[in-house]
Amino acid sequence: MKANKTYIYIALLLVFLSCNSKKETEVTQKPEYLDDIGDTTFNPALDNANFKFCDSTNVLHKRASVAYTGGITAMEKELIKKYKKQPAFESFTGYFFIRFAVNCNNESGRFRWEIVDEEFKETSCPKALEEEIISTVKSLQQWNYPIYRGKSYDGYTFIIVKLKNGNILRS
Amino acid sequence: MKKILFTLGCFCTTLLFSQGNCLLYPEGSDARKACELAYEGKSLKQGSRESQEMFDSILKLNPEYDWAYMEKSVAYLKRGLIVEGLELLDKAVELEPRYNLPYRAYWHFQNRNYKLCIRDLERYYKLPNAFIYELTPGGDKDMRLLLAMSYAKEGNLQKGIETVQNCLKSYKRESDFGLVDYHILGMLYVKNKQYKKALEAFDKQLKMTEDYPDSYYYMGLAYKALNKPKEAKMHFEKAKDKFLDDSHIRNGYLCYKVYYSDVLDEIDALSE
Repeated sequence: MKANKTYIYIALLLVFLSCNSKKETEVTQKPEYLDDIGDTTFNPALDNANFKFCDSTNVLHKRASVAYTGGITAMEKELIKKYKKQPAFESFTGYFFIRFAVNCNNESGRFRWEIVDEEFKETSCPKALEEEIISTVKSLQQWNYPIYRGKSYDGYTFIIVKLKNGNILRS
Repeated sequence: MKKILFTLGCFCTTLLFSQGNCLLYPEGSDARKACELAYEGKSLKQGSRESQEMFDSILKLNPEYDWAYMEKSVAYLKRGLIVEGLELLDKAVELEPRYNLPYRAYWHFQNRNYKLCIRDLERYYKLPNAFIYELTPGGDKDMRLLLAMSYAKEGNLQKGIETVQNCLKSYKRESDFGLVDYHILGMLYVKNKQYKKALEAFDKQLKMTEDYPDSYYYMGLAYKALNKPKEAKMHFEKAKDKFLDDSHIRNGYLCYKVYYSDVLDEIDALSE
């Protein structure tokens, strides 16, 4: 009986230690950062393999230096013209923050996005709406790579698509 | 007076974007060490791994250091990672609303969430220690102008106009005005279909600077609405010329921004 009790104590102690060591690992675990916030590594499940950076070691993170021919007005006009709204989209009001890169050949790729509600909290929307917005943004062809201090670069940028009851709102 | 305001603005911007005085913390305390680490890390590139790891080390030493949360959020917000950026900035606001509410409001404005911008700024100006002349992070605009434009974007143009008027009234003399303050007033008048008042505001704006193409565009719209197509076209042409002049003022953080293509569209429409 005494031996049984000892086994139980040892087992409890081991359980306690294992829980404690897991907690320790969680506390000391450091977040893993890429070289720069917003760097987007190639993901074969998401990305077009034909999109290449001209110099992947030096991609600019200067949003304003990536322009659209005709400015934001032209970009939004094109976006709204191409967007095919469905009745089911009317349930959504919120924002798409869509990040992507433009390479030195003016091609866009590495699209990633966050969908947030009116409180800027992460949310979801009808799958068909998400696909429509992302495919429409991917179809925009008039991006211009950044020129910074007289030199051409690949660059990251992002756009915000604001929707009210499924309609895209202009800036 | 304008110089005083600018200096005050710079001082506030410095307060907002500085680590604070480390000597205020007890010697040898983690809070002092966190503050000193922040000074040491100032040269690190914003958004770099080294920079983010430095913020983590600072926050490990002092989890109540609002400046570190705010500063860590910047790279995320500048790069479109809204969820991650706001998670950090919200924490900074929770710890120290006085210094961080205007900055969060600025980002809400930039990200076109005018409701949240209004909510943050109304809360800010009700604080007992709010600084009425709080400027945007770049130091070029009174935050009350962002509030005014947010009211306008939310459909309350009259309240927007009144907010600009009250802001401008709080300045003591003409030289206190910012470079595009009258432009914002004129622009809101145009949106509110008060075209004559808009032109009066733009007259004052042109005394501030003649290098802002957007002003000529809105003047063109006002003349067009007043059925003066000749004057309208002349102003659209001026806007076009200004856009082509490399030294023109860029439109910065404004709503109802004007682009070159908008001007060309108006000229084409009047030429038909």
